[in-house]
Amino acid sequence: METILTINKLSKRFGRIQAVDKLNLEIKQGQVFGILGPNGSGKTTTLGMILDVIAPNQGSFKWFGGERTVDARKKIGSILETPCFYPYLSAVQNLRITAHIKKAGNENIESILRQVGLFDRKDDKFKTYSLGMKQRLSIGAALLSNPPVLILDEPTNGLDPEGIAEVRALIKNIAQNGKTILMASHLLNEVQKVCTHFCVLRNGVKLHEGSVSDTLGEINKVDVSSDDLVVLGDVLKDHPGIESSSSNGSIIELTLKPGTLATDINQYCFKKGITLKKLFTHTNSLEQEFLKILKEND
Amino acid sequence: MIRVLKLEWLKVRNYKSFWILLGMYLLALLIIASGGVFFLEWLKSKGADFDGIDPTILPIYDFPDIWQNTTYLASFVKVLLAFIVIISVNNDLTYSTMRQNIIDGISKKEFILSKFMQIIVLALISTLFLFLIGFINGSIYSHVWGVEYIFDELEFLFAYFYEIVVYCTLAFLLTLVIKKAGFVIVILFLYTLMFEPIATTILMNAPYFKDGMAPEIAQFFPIRSLNNLISVPYTRYVFMEIEDNVSYSALAITSAWFLFYLGSIFYILNKRDLK
Repeated sequence: METILTINKLSKRFGRIQAVDKLNLEIKQGQVFGILGPNGSGKTTTLGMILDVIAPNQGSFKWFGGERTVDARKKIGSILETPCFYPYLSAVQNLRITAHIKKAGNENIESILRQVGLFDRKDDKFKTYSLGMKQRLSIGAALLSNPPVLILDEPTNGLDPEGIAEVRALIKNIAQNGKTILMASHLLNEVQKVCTHFCVLRNGVKLHEGSVSDTLGEINKVDVSSDDLVVLGDVLKDHPGIESSSSNGSIIELTLKPGTLATDINQYCFKKGITLKKLFTHTNSLEQEFLKILKEND
Repeated sequence: MIRVLKLEWLKVRNYKSFWILLGMYLLALLIIASGGVFFLEWLKSKGADFDGIDPTILPIYDFPDIWQNTTYLASFVKVLLAFIVIISVNNDLTYSTMRQNIIDGISKKEFILSKFMQIIVLALISTLFLFLIGFINGSIYSHVWGVEYIFDELEFLFAYFYEIVVYCTLAFLLTLVIKKAGFVIVILFLYTLMFEPIATTILMNAPYFKDGMAPEIAQFFPIRSLNNLISVPYTRYVFMEIEDNVSYSALAITSAWFLFYLGSIFYILNKRDLK
């Protein structure tokens, strides 16, 4: 698959703080790539560098295999933390500026404004908009030139629940059209819901990189309980597929070896004459993985 | 070139403050360039005379002297035009729209060029406007008439154009450095009309300084050198002989400043992280 962005040993230092430290990344076409990290981990700085508003101290990056960055940026829709528009201009007038810069033509403006629900307010000045409307206008501006790549920095910041759901639906929708999305977020379930790949940054260092499904793929924790936990515990001790177990009084928590499924446990217990009262399979969440990754690197 | 001009145009077209400031500036030019007759009338009413000469017969609107006379006066209000540049640059900084423009797909160089083209256009508008006012006043009051007089000494209009371009480029640079429009306006206003004139006057006239190099050094100051481009024309009515050419040494000094301003703008923006 075609490589959209290659980042090579990119570093940025602000005074005594190393904001980004020798970051390597490769983003391929069609990926929805999440950059995860606590606040201040270098996410926004990284996005700033690949968008040419922050000058790296070291390293390099390449868009679309080495296109001139000023031309590459015209093909990238960006939604950054705060919407930046001219407050004294209306939505239409602001989008005309964006369209002019992106060499996109003005024909799309009305349909885009309809799409983001601002058509009724299109001639009102930007400064009269609520935060949600401002955010929606920046989504509109990002989509204006129908760009193959989208960069989102905390896209749901400051939105109400409805707005958050809309943005998520929008991202998934865009991703289905084969577009590449790079997003920074500290909201883990957001990344889990929309991303195909992710990396974890802390203090500017990349701790982990992988696909979301691979990372979340190994589901190996099962809770069981029955009327007599002691008997159940004894029986389960003999099962070859269980790595460890612990009881907390009302349930027994099992960690399974790879290859062993929850259904195997159920069958096994039934054969041994025990009826399970409860069988609960844990789904891994990115949050647990994230915390694990942070802990492993402490 | 057209592309960056259109970008600026889209930004100011519906920006009321821009048009109000520009209107005020042109009005100031109109008043200052046409007020001479009324000023002389006022002098007369106060009983002033120049060695027995009635002030109202001074041929201040005669071609071609009119060009030096009006451009000299007009350069006093150039600070008003600089306000427009300051506000325009400052908007793009405080609204973070410069950053957004760059993210959307222009280079820093194009951004600088867009503001510089705005300066050129503003200077062009005021020069043409001044030419028009001068032409009209001349047609009304001039004692001589004819192509050879009207289009003589137009170099003062070019000098005026250049003076404004250099001065507004300084305003552009100051706004980039200081980043607060109100502050820049106050500083530029005070520096142009008070601090530097006072400093250069002291350097040129104070007994302690005036016999050394100081008067020479004063000519190198940024505002002084700009003002030197068009020298004081009115002494011609007293001494008969004055500097009635654009000063080449002032042209050289202001050009050096101009390059310094432009170079600094490029240097600062290239190095600066936009957040």
